[in-house]
Amino acid sequence: MVDKNQAIIDFLMTCPKIASSSVFFNFLNAKDENKQIITQANDVSLNRKFVDGSVLRRYTFSIIDFRSVDYNPIPKNLPIPGTTTVTDYVSENVEELLDVQGIMDWITEQAEEQNYPDFGEGFEIDNMQTTSDNPNLNGVDTSVTPALAKYSMSIQIDYLDKTKSIWEDN
Amino acid sequence: MAVKQINLRDGQRAERKLLVTVAEWEEPLDGTTGSEVVRELLGTRTEDSSIDYNADIQDSTDILGNNYTDVNKTQPTQAFDPFLILGGSRLGAYLNDIRRRNALSELTGAFTIYVITAFIGDETNGYEAEKHAESTITYESFGGDANVNFPITVHFSNKITTGKVDKIAADFVFTEDVSI
Repeated sequence: MVDKNQAIIDFLMTCPKIASSSVFFNFLNAKDENKQIITQANDVSLNRKFVDGSVLRRYTFSIIDFRSVDYNPIPKNLPIPGTTTVTDYVSENVEELLDVQGIMDWITEQAEEQNYPDFGEGFEIDNMQTTSDNPNLNGVDTSVTPALAKYSMSIQIDYLDKTKSIWEDN
Repeated sequence: MAVKQINLRDGQRAERKLLVTVAEWEEPLDGTTGSEVVRELLGTRTEDSSIDYNADIQDSTDILGNNYTDVNKTQPTQAFDPFLILGGSRLGAYLNDIRRRNALSELTGAFTIYVITAFIGDETNGYEAEKHAESTITYESFGGDANVNFPITVHFSNKITTGKVDKIAADFVFTEDVSI
C-alpha cells in the first residue's frame, strides 16, 4: 500500500515553486522560503459509504511558507511628471504573497487537469482543492532576523477507497 | 430445500455491500457478427439504492372482521441515482449509445440482472443469487452539476432462476438450484 504522506510529498515536489525550496514534513527549521507540509485532522470525517462497499474519504494537509518581511512603507503612487503613468513600485511583501499564491494556483491547475497524487492501487482521487482562494497570513516571527511571515494554505483531497469494495477486480 | 441461514454472527447487521446487483448484457463486437457478454456491478458512487417491489395488493374484510390480503403481483424496480458517467463503465457507454440513437427498443428485455445475497453463503460454497432474465434498464435523466449523472432504473422481469454464484466478480459462474 502506498503511503499517502509520501505520495503527497512526491506530488508537491513536482511543483517548481516548492521543488526549488527546502521542504520539511510536519517539523521544520523556519527560514526564508522554507516550506512545511503539515498533515491535519479533518474537522468532519467524510467517510461516505457507497452501496458497493467503496468509501469516499478525505485527506487534508497544509503548506506553510515562510517569507522574509519588508518593513518599508508602500510609497504613494505619484504620477510620473508629464505623464498619467504612476510609479510601479511594488512592496516586497506583495511580491512574496504573490509568489505564495503561485503555489495555490498550481494546486488548482493540477486539479483542473485531474493530475493528482498517486495513492496507489484501490484508491481513486475524486477531487483536490484549496480551502480558500488566497494564502492565510498566520503571523510574523520577529525573533529571527530577518523577521519571517508565516503564510499557510490548506488543501483537501477527496479520494475513493475501493479496498473495501465487494466486487473483485479481474 | 431448507432455507439457508444468514452467514453473520447473532445480531450482526449485514453491510449494504453484501446485497449486490449485477447487470449482464450482450454487446456487438466490432467488425464481426458476434457479440460479447458483459457484466457490470451496479451501485458505484451510489449511496442508497433499494429494490422496490411495488406490490399490487387487494385487501378485503369478511363479516367477522377478519382481514384478507391478496398479493396479486409485484413489479420490482431498483433505482441507481446517481449513476455517474465514469471512465471504464461499459454500461454507461452502452446506455449512452442507445440514448443518442433513441433506440429505446434496445432497452426492453435486453438485460439479465443478478441479485446476489452475499450474506447467505460463503467463499467456499458460493453465495445465494437470483437471476432475472429479460429485464429492462431505463435511463431517467442526463446531466447534473459538477459531474455527468445518468440515473437509471432497473425493471426486474420476475423471470427468476434461483441459484448461486461462486464469487463476487465479473467472471462469476451462476449455478442453478437443483430441486430434489
